[in-house]
Amino acid sequence: MTPAEGASPALAFDAVSRHFALPGGAAYPAIEGVSFAVGLGEFLAIVGPTGCGKSTILSLAAGLLRPTSGRILTFSAPLEKINRHAAYLFQQDVLLPWKTALENVMLGPLLHRWPPGRARDEARRWLSRVGLSGFESRFPHQLSGGMRKRVALAQSLIVGPAILLMDEPFSALDAQTRELMENDLLRLWQEDRKTIVFVTHDLEEAIALSDRVLVLAAGPATRVIGAHPVDLPRPRDVTEVRLHPGFRHIYQTIWAQLRGEVLRAYAAQGRVSATEGGA
Amino acid sequence: MSKGRYRLLPYQTGLLVTLVGAWQVTTQRGWVDPFFFSTPSAIGTRVAEWFVQGSIYRHLWTTTLETVLAFLTGAGLGVVFGFAFARSPILSGIFDPYLKIANALPRVVLAPIFTLWFGLGILSKVAFGVTLVFFIVFFNTYQGIREVETGLLNNARMLGATERDLVRHVLLPSAMVWILSSLHTSVGLALVGAVVGEYLGSGRGLGYIIAQAEGTFDTTGVFAGMTVLAAFTLVVDLLVTLVERRLLAWKPAAAHAERA
Repeated sequence: MTPAEGASPALAFDAVSRHFALPGGAAYPAIEGVSFAVGLGEFLAIVGPTGCGKSTILSLAAGLLRPTSGRILTFSAPLEKINRHAAYLFQQDVLLPWKTALENVMLGPLLHRWPPGRARDEARRWLSRVGLSGFESRFPHQLSGGMRKRVALAQSLIVGPAILLMDEPFSALDAQTRELMENDLLRLWQEDRKTIVFVTHDLEEAIALSDRVLVLAAGPATRVIGAHPVDLPRPRDVTEVRLHPGFRHIYQTIWAQLRGEVLRAYAAQGRVSATEGGA
Repeated sequence: MSKGRYRLLPYQTGLLVTLVGAWQVTTQRGWVDPFFFSTPSAIGTRVAEWFVQGSIYRHLWTTTLETVLAFLTGAGLGVVFGFAFARSPILSGIFDPYLKIANALPRVVLAPIFTLWFGLGILSKVAFGVTLVFFIVFFNTYQGIREVETGLLNNARMLGATERDLVRHVLLPSAMVWILSSLHTSVGLALVGAVVGEYLGSGRGLGYIIAQAEGTFDTTGVFAGMTVLAAFTLVVDLLVTLVERRLLAWKPAAAHAERA
């Protein structure tokens, strides 16, 4: 699926740069002149070597960070505060440990001042949509890593965001749990076609899930060096789609581009750890 | 773990019986002067008298009231100041050296001043207890709020939290973990404040009983007072454990044991 031509994109980066102040006072350019647009209902994956500023891009899109220069538009409006159209699925565990699964999912609705009864009913419905009926009163530490991710997914989606920003959400999960989660994500996405920006360092995951893969250069001063459409049939199963003849072809095309960047990133990392003892 | 504890129960009881028995025998036979050491049977009789005649209850009540008031006031002030300082670097920067000095000061020296300022009633004991409780709760609140993971805050922000929502849903609960983990210490200090204050000058309370008995060389009274105080402390500690278990039900068992 490609975004409708001419329709205003859900999210657009226009020559966005972001620098961070280093302890010495120098500026570290995390990303430099990044431009891309995500169409309404598009599943966009962003891949790049480690430390290339993928998370920075998501934080900018979420409005948690301000760009040093350039413009970010969401539904044609400049983004000035927190992106109210977006939900963010973080890489780390961010469920509130003192709230039960149900209370965690209810948090967004309550913050949006829904009536508590409605918030509770919707939260139950969402927990069952992510396959966690019966786990409502468990605390996060009583759930497995995969279950916590499901709660987090329900927590992000319940308030009906137009855009879902995902930062390597499944990277900490074991391989089987991860495939289950990926398929569930595809199923949920198929149902209401949100706009998704999915950041990962795993190229296979990126291709299996997305409509289009953006490739980032190695940091610092990361920019977009390629955009590759993924024209594999939908609905997909992440395990089966890997056996599709088109999959290998797309993989090889993107990997040819990504490989050099990964090597550059490793080389840079080696230099850094030799001089500073780790980045 | 609890199985092991019960396994040791016979030995623990045996130790108690042996020690108290030896104390009883040596004082009864006159090997040790009962004037200085009293006897367990006399102490037991005295404690029983206090409870049967009912003379102990108003002292227990006074000490309880002082402990509760000192804890609530000290904890309340500690949370408010800890929160304000954690949220305002300027405020904490200005006050930091003075807080360090105040905390380093042995608080017992304040007790006579508080007696002068607030009289012999419960107020001077509450004030003394507050100075003990305040710093524990203050430092824990401060720490709890400073150490909130940015991930939790950012997630709540993305879910639509305003700054005030963050306080209610993320910052205060996070500080509560730290405050509750120091609950045994802070409640214990509130009790110490009450008893020490009573001991130094008052007309009521467990500390007063002990001070009175000491003033008349009544060792039985001193030991009886200590016995009641020890039992009282155990009950308070048990209540704190129950409260803590209820409020920290969401914590994984291992981490819970670590803090206890």
